Amino acid sequence: MTINRREFIKANAIAAAAAVAGVSIPAVASNLITSSDITKLKWDKAPCRFCGTGCSVNVGVMDGKVVATHGDIKSPVNKGLNCVKGYFLSKIMYGKDRLTTPLLRMTNGKYDKEGEFAPVSWDQAFNVMAEKAKDALKKDGPEALGMFGSGQWTVQEGYAAVKLMKAGFRTNNIDPNARHCMASAVGGFMRTFGIDEPMGCYDDLEAADAFVLWGSNMAEMHPILWTRLTDRRLSSPHVKVAVLSTFEHRSFDLADNGMIFTPQTDLAILNYIANYIIKTDRVNKEFVSKHTNFRLGETDIGYGLRPEHPLEQAAKNNGKTAGSSTQIDFEEYAEFVSTYTVEYVAKLSGVPEHKLEALAELYADPKIKVTSFWTMGFNQHTRGVWANNLVYNIHLLTGKISTPGNSPFSLTGQPSACGTAREVGTFSHRLPADMVVKNPKHRAIAEKIWDLPEGTVPPKPGYHAALQNRMLKDGKLNFYWVQCNNNMQAAANINEEGYPGYRNPKNFIVVSDPYPTVTAQAADLILPTAMWVEKEGVYGNAERRTQSWYQMVEAPQGAKSDLWQLVEFSKRFNIEDVWPEELIAKKPNVRGKTLFDVLYKDASVGKFSLDEIPEDRLNDDARDFGFYIQKGLFEEYASFGRGHAHDLAPYDTYHKERGLRWPVVNGKETKWRFKEGSDPYVKAGTGWDFYGHKDGRAKIFALPYEPAAESPDEEYDLWLSTGRVLEHWHSGSMTQRVPELYKAMPDALVYMHPDDAKKRGMRRGDLVKLISRRGEVQTRVETRGRNKPPIGLVFMPWFDASRLVNKVTLDATDPLSKQTDFKKCAIKIVKV
Amino acid sequence: MMKNAESTTSEYHVASFVAYPILAQLNEVKQAIADIEGTDIHATSDEGKIVFTIEGNSYRDIGTKMDIIRVHKGLINLSPVYHQILDESDNEKIEEQYTELKK
Amino acid sequence: MKSFNLAVIASLLVLAVSPIMYSLNANAADKETVNSVATLRDATPIDVQKEPNRIPQVINKDIKKTRNYPMQPPVIPHTIRSYEVNKYNNKCMSCHSRQRTEKSQAPMVSVTHFMNRDGNFLAEISPRRYFCNQCHVTQLDAKPLVENTFTDMHSLMKAKAKSKEH
Repeated sequence: MTINRREFIKANAIAAAAAVAGVSIPAVASNLITSSDITKLKWDKAPCRFCGTGCSVNVGVMDGKVVATHGDIKSPVNKGLNCVKGYFLSKIMYGKDRLTTPLLRMTNGKYDKEGEFAPVSWDQAFNVMAEKAKDALKKDGPEALGMFGSGQWTVQEGYAAVKLMKAGFRTNNIDPNARHCMASAVGGFMRTFGIDEPMGCYDDLEAADAFVLWGSNMAEMHPILWTRLTDRRLSSPHVKVAVLSTFEHRSFDLADNGMIFTPQTDLAILNYIANYIIKTDRVNKEFVSKHTNFRLGETDIGYGLRPEHPLEQAAKNNGKTAGSSTQIDFEEYAEFVSTYTVEYVAKLSGVPEHKLEALAELYADPKIKVTSFWTMGFNQHTRGVWANNLVYNIHLLTGKISTPGNSPFSLTGQPSACGTAREVGTFSHRLPADMVVKNPKHRAIAEKIWDLPEGTVPPKPGYHAALQNRMLKDGKLNFYWVQCNNNMQAAANINEEGYPGYRNPKNFIVVSDPYPTVTAQAADLILPTAMWVEKEGVYGNAERRTQSWYQMVEAPQGAKSDLWQLVEFSKRFNIEDVWPEELIAKKPNVRGKTLFDVLYKDASVGKFSLDEIPEDRLNDDARDFGFYIQKGLFEEYASFGRGHAHDLAPYDTYHKERGLRWPVVNGKETKWRFKEGSDPYVKAGTGWDFYGHKDGRAKIFALPYEPAAESPDEEYDLWLSTGRVLEHWHSGSMTQRVPELYKAMPDALVYMHPDDAKKRGMRRGDLVKLISRRGEVQTRVETRGRNKPPIGLVFMPWFDASRLVNKVTLDATDPLSKQTDFKKCAIKIVKV
Repeated sequence: MMKNAESTTSEYHVASFVAYPILAQLNEVKQAIADIEGTDIHATSDEGKIVFTIEGNSYRDIGTKMDIIRVHKGLINLSPVYHQILDESDNEKIEEQYTELKK
Repeated sequence: MKSFNLAVIASLLVLAVSPIMYSLNANAADKETVNSVATLRDATPIDVQKEPNRIPQVINKDIKKTRNYPMQPPVIPHTIRSYEVNKYNNKCMSCHSRQRTEKSQAPMVSVTHFMNRDGNFLAEISPRRYFCNQCHVTQLDAKPLVENTFTDMHSLMKAKAKSKEH
C-alpha cells in the first residue's frame, strides 16, 4: 500500500517537470484516473458466503478479480448492510496458499498413506480415487463408502451428491456438516409439524412486540438480523428483548431481561413457561382445541454415545423407541408441566424468580406478539429436539404462531443448511423434500423422478456425522470424501475418534477445499476447489429464501468446483461397477453406461442446453460437461417439492430476483406458512392448517428436564461451552486469511470469570491447558473480553486451527437428531 | 543523510527531469532513457523536450542513472527539476501521514 | 540381445536401489512435508500443540488505515477497552457523532449511518446502525499467518493504464 504514497510524490515530480517543459500533465500521472473504460467495474448480485441470514451483496469485478463488495440495497434481508465479515468478502478468495493442484500422499511416485503430499494431475487423482472406491465396494459393499458434505454446498452440489451416493453407489452414508448445526431443529419441526423449516420469516422482526433469544448470540452470529431487531427495539419503546444464555455475551447489550441459566436447564424453563400460561389461564383454548394434539414423549433416551459407554448402558430407551410418543389430552399435559414451578425452576436454573415471571409474561399476555429465536444453544444439545418441541409448545398453547410478529423462529447457522442440506436431503436418512429413505413410498417417488429401477435407493439409514467418525476409527468406512467443510477441526472428540479415524490405514480419505485446512492435513488426497463466485450456484437461507448467483470470476488455474468434481468422478464408474446384476436387469438400457450418463447426462439433469446460459456469462462447469448442468440439477430437484408445499420457482427467475421464499406458487412467495391467506396450501376455512401432519394439527409434546451427558465434578470442575465469534466464520479457513479479520481476532482465547482465574492462580494472558477426559488444548486466558461467563463455566471459540478446542469436547449427541452437543462438557483448567 | 547500501536502503527516491535532445536523435535519446531501470517517460513537448522520472533507492542510485543519460551524444541538455525522498523504514507511519496530507 | 538384457538388469538394479535411498530421506521429510499444508498451524502435526503466543496488543495509534474499496467500513485505529455500547449508552458516539466531532476531531459517522432501512434520511443515526462493532473492528498487533493477494481497484487501474500506455 506504500504504492499510493510513492505515486503521490511521483505525480508531483512529473507535474513539476512538465510545467518546466511546457507540456500538459498526462492524465495517467495524476491521482485521479478517470478514463471510463479503465474505471469500469462489473457489478453483480450474490448471496453472502457466510451465515444463514443470507444477506445479498453486490460484487464488483474488474479484470477478472473481485475488487469490492457492498451490501445489496435491493435485498429485503439486509437492505444494504453487511457485517464485518461480509464487508471483506472481496478478500476471501485471495489467500496466498490457495490450492491449485491435487495433492496425494506418495512415496516413490505411488500412493502411500504415510507418505508426503506431492502434486498429481486431476486424472491421477481420479484414478486413485476410483481404484480405492472400487476396492472398498468389492470388499465390503456400498456401506464402506461415505461422504461428508456441507450446508455450504450449493443446492446443485448437494443434489448431485445425493444422487451419486444414494442412486449411484447405493449407500446412505452421506451426511452434511449441517448435522452439527440444524439436525435438532429439523427433528423438532418434523415431530411438531410434520414438515421442516420455519413458518415465519424475517418480516417478523419489524412486527413483534417482544423478542426472546434462547441461547442464541444474534449480535455476533446473525448480525444483520440483530440490526433489524435493534431497529425495532430502539424505535418502539414498548418492545422488550429477553436474552437467555449460559454466559453473558454481546446480545445482552440490548436486553431488557438478561438471564444466565445453568446449562441444560433451558428445558425446565420452557416447561415452566408452559405451566405459567396454563396456571394464569392464558391458554388460547380455541386455537389449542382446533389445531393441536398432545403427546407424551419417550424419556431416558441416552446420549448418542458408543453403545459400550456406561451412559448408554444405563439408558432405558435409547433404542428405536427413543423418538416415540403416546397420545394424551390437555389435562394430562397440564399435570405433567405442573411440577415446573417458578421456585423449582429458579433453583435448578439459577435464574431469579422475577426474571422468569417477566419472561413467561411475554408469552402469556395475549396482547404481546412474541418472536423466539434460537440456534446452537438449543440445537447443539443432547435434548435438542426436545428443546425445539418445547419452545413450539408455548407458541402453540397461546396460538402465537404464523402471524406477523408471532414467530417461533429457528435460525439457521450456515448459508445453505436449509437450501441444500435440509431441502435437498443430503442426510443419511433422507431424500429431497423432507422424504426419508425408510419409507418405501418415498423411495418409489425418488426412483420415479430419477427414472431408476425399484430397489435402487437403499432403505436403511446410513452413518450420520458422529457415527462416520466412529466407523472410520473402527475401519468400517474405508472410502471417505469430505467436501466443503473442515470436520477434523469441527467435530467433537478429535483425539479419540476423528483423528485416528482419518489416519486409520484401512481408510482412504479425500478432502476437497479451496485452502489447506486441518482436515486436508489429515487427508490422503487433497483436491483444490473453486469457491463462491468462482462457480454458479444457489443457496437457501434461514427464512426459506432461495437465492442464486452466476459465476463471476475464474477459479485459480487448477481449482475445480465441488460440483465438477462429483460429476467428473461419476464418469469413472460403469453401472456394472456399482449395481448388482438383479438391479441392472430391471432397467437393461443402463448396461454399459457410466454413472455420469445414468445420473446426469441422460437424466433430466442433462436436458438444458448451453444456449440457455446468457452469452456474456462465465460457467466453466456447464461448458465443460456440455449442458447447463446447474439448471438441470435444480429443475430435477425442484420437481420433488413442487405441489408438495416445497414449491420452488423456475430456475431462471432466481437469477432475476433477490431470492424468493418458498413455497412459491403462481409466482408468489409465501411469507407465513400454515396460515390461511398467506400460505396457498392451507385449506380454506381452517384459519391455521398444519398440513405436515395428516390431521392438520401440530403436536404439543410433554417432555421433561433431563441432565447433560457430562456435568462438572470434583476433578473436571468447569463447564466448557464452545462456539463462534463475529469476526470469524466457523473454522476460520476463509476469514483467518483476510488480514483485517485475522488482526481483529487472531487467536481463540478461553473466556473466564476473573474469580475463576484468580482461584486457579491465573491472570489474563496466562498460558493454560484445558483438560478433559479425552484430551487437552492450550490457549491463553481472557478475563475481560466480550464474553463474560459466570463462575463455573468457560467459553472457547473453535475458529483457531492452531488451538483445536474439539480435542477436549465430547461427542455426545441428541439421540433423536444425532447432533453433537458442543455446548456442554466438563473440563479442568491448569496453568502451564 | 546517505545510507551506505546499494540496494538495501529503505528509501524511495523519485526525481524528474527535462531532457533537451537534438531533434533528429529524439528516438535514440528516448530509447536510452527507457533502457535504464526505473525510468518512465511521461511526455514529449513539441520541441522535443522529454519529461521523465527516475526512481531509485538512494542519492547514489539516482545520480548514477542520471550520469548514464547525461553523457548521451544526442543530448543537448539535461535539467533536473524535482527530487523527493521517502523514508520507508516505518512503512505504516508514512502511508498514514500521506493520507493525512491528502485531507 | 545380451547388451539389452544387461541394460535391463542394470536399470532394474538402479530402480531397486534408488527407492531405498529415496525413502530413507523421504521418511525424515515425511512429517515436514505433510504438515507443510498446515499453513494456519505453522506446519504442526494435528496431534501436537505448539505453545500459543501471547495475546497481542490492540493497535492504538489513531492512524487511519487505507480502505480496500470505498464502501468498506474503516477499522478502528484505537483501543475500545471499556467503551460500552448498550441500550443505555453508545460510547463511540461521544466522539464520532455529528455534534461532537468538532471537539473530538474524530471522524464523523458517514452519512450512510443516517439512512433508515427504506433509504430515507433521519435526523439522528439510524437504530439499525447502533451497534458499531458489528461492522467496525479493532486491529491487534499480529502478523497475518497467510498473505492475501487481493488487489484493490486503484492498483488494478494503474496497471491497466500503464499497459495501455505501452
